[in-house]
Amino acid sequence: MGEKISSMSKSIFAHCTLPTLVILTYLFLYLPIIVLIIFSFNASDVMYVWSGFSLHWYFHLLHSSEIRHVIFNSLIVAFSSVILSVTMGTLLVYGAKKYIERLMIIFYGSMLFPEIVIAVSLLTVFSFFSVPLGFVTLIAGHTLLGLGFVIPIVYGQYEHLDESIIEAGLDLGASHVQIFFYVILPYLAPALLASSLLVFIISFDDFLISFFCAGATTQTLSLYIFAQIRTGLSPEVSALSSLIVFISSLGVLILSSPRVRILERMLS
Amino acid sequence: MERIKKSIFEQMPFFVSLPAILWQVIFLWLPLFFMIFLSIFFVADHFGFTLKNYVTIFNITHWYVIGRSLAIALITTILCLLCAYPVAYYIARRGKRAKTIFLFFLALPFWVNFLIHIYAWFFLLDFHGVINSLLLSLGIISSPLYLLNSTFAIVTVMFYCYLPFMVLPVYTVIERFDTRLLEAAADLGASPQVTFRAVTLPLTLSGIRSGVFLVFITSFGEYAIPLLMGGGKKLYVGSLISDYVLIGQDSALGSAFTVLSSIVLIITVGLINFALSKKVILKTVFR
Repeated sequence: MGEKISSMSKSIFAHCTLPTLVILTYLFLYLPIIVLIIFSFNASDVMYVWSGFSLHWYFHLLHSSEIRHVIFNSLIVAFSSVILSVTMGTLLVYGAKKYIERLMIIFYGSMLFPEIVIAVSLLTVFSFFSVPLGFVTLIAGHTLLGLGFVIPIVYGQYEHLDESIIEAGLDLGASHVQIFFYVILPYLAPALLASSLLVFIISFDDFLISFFCAGATTQTLSLYIFAQIRTGLSPEVSALSSLIVFISSLGVLILSSPRVRILERMLS
Repeated sequence: MERIKKSIFEQMPFFVSLPAILWQVIFLWLPLFFMIFLSIFFVADHFGFTLKNYVTIFNITHWYVIGRSLAIALITTILCLLCAYPVAYYIARRGKRAKTIFLFFLALPFWVNFLIHIYAWFFLLDFHGVINSLLLSLGIISSPLYLLNSTFAIVTVMFYCYLPFMVLPVYTVIERFDTRLLEAAADLGASPQVTFRAVTLPLTLSGIRSGVFLVFITSFGEYAIPLLMGGGKKLYVGSLISDYVLIGQDSALGSAFTVLSSIVLIITVGLINFALSKKVILKTVFR
């Protein structure tokens, strides 16, 4: 009898610990974000003292030309990196599909080394050859990070492309360029969308390469937030951060919604 | 003319694949080799083969810095693994819909700039922050704790930031894991503990390995978290490298230190790879 009870309590324990751990983990993951969002509605100037609800800091944000400027800079860099890395990556997969497994090592390098090593080596070369730091150097760095993600994703899709479709197109008189634009690109659309999104986020969120390769004049959003944290927290940054959390969540939500998946299927 | 056109056309696959390769070689591999070159050929702007940079670097303070970074990366990795494995296991055993929801909320923070996560932690850990106010009002402590600017704060935030990177690869292998093997093991009379050690663990090792490498390599070179959460009191590999390059303006010495810490990292990763190989794991588990 006693044994039965003890084994029963054991199994209840086993059944409860795992869900509890999972719940605690998710609470842990979201606690800081929730606190951040709550305090972004704080009316007080003092960071940690709650003195009532207000949208004061959000209005502040709208009128800050500096924040608009850094977001604009980040967007320029992110879009350029997406266009460059997705274009070059797709062309590589198309052109060198037979050798891609062997070429992959060139592109995995950006994941083998800590980002700071890549950032410092880039800065060393740029400063040694006195390349002026700015948008160009930033985009160069973010594109190289992006290529490491674009190529595996695009190749993963391209692998499954039925070669006979291409042959059929060629037999019917399509040129290689036409095949590329009318057969291969539409087929790759979902992979292109996914990798563009990933590169965009990587560039937009990147801190280390931006920190070393942006120079003194080009400030991105990450650098702005970093500078704000170093000089002391301001409620304005909480509002900005909460806004970014909202926008990112909304973006992910939209992109993972069924409607987009239907759109993807239509494209492919 | 026609012939030239044709030969260009035949070479097209070569030409279109060139930009990506060139980009990666010029901006990734050349700088890395250039850094090694700089570290053995330049001392204070003099050119010529020398090991002086490495002699300067090879002292006990630098080894302390590297050791500290290794320790903190190791602690973060172990904490992440201990928490991520059961969580990934739980998620992988849910239904399809629940799985999607769990994964969505796991990946969501990843889409938000990680500096914002660091920023958010200040609200929790500050002297007047949420944790201290909560503990004070509950009467658990009588005066606020100094939570910021400590190793505790660094490890907490690193664990927080890298946890999803451990869960996802582990989840991927557990999801593919054939549960009939568990039933087979149970039918053959193995206890759950034995089944875990002999079946589940070895078969999910590849996911553990990729998660461990991902977290370990990134946290070894982490710059922002130790600086902001540690208050810059103690030097880590990331902060020392940036000190040399940005403040000291000594690229050669900075390069030498970067090369040295990269070598230590590669050796450590090799050791971890050996320790996490199937052979070694099975041997330790069934000693």
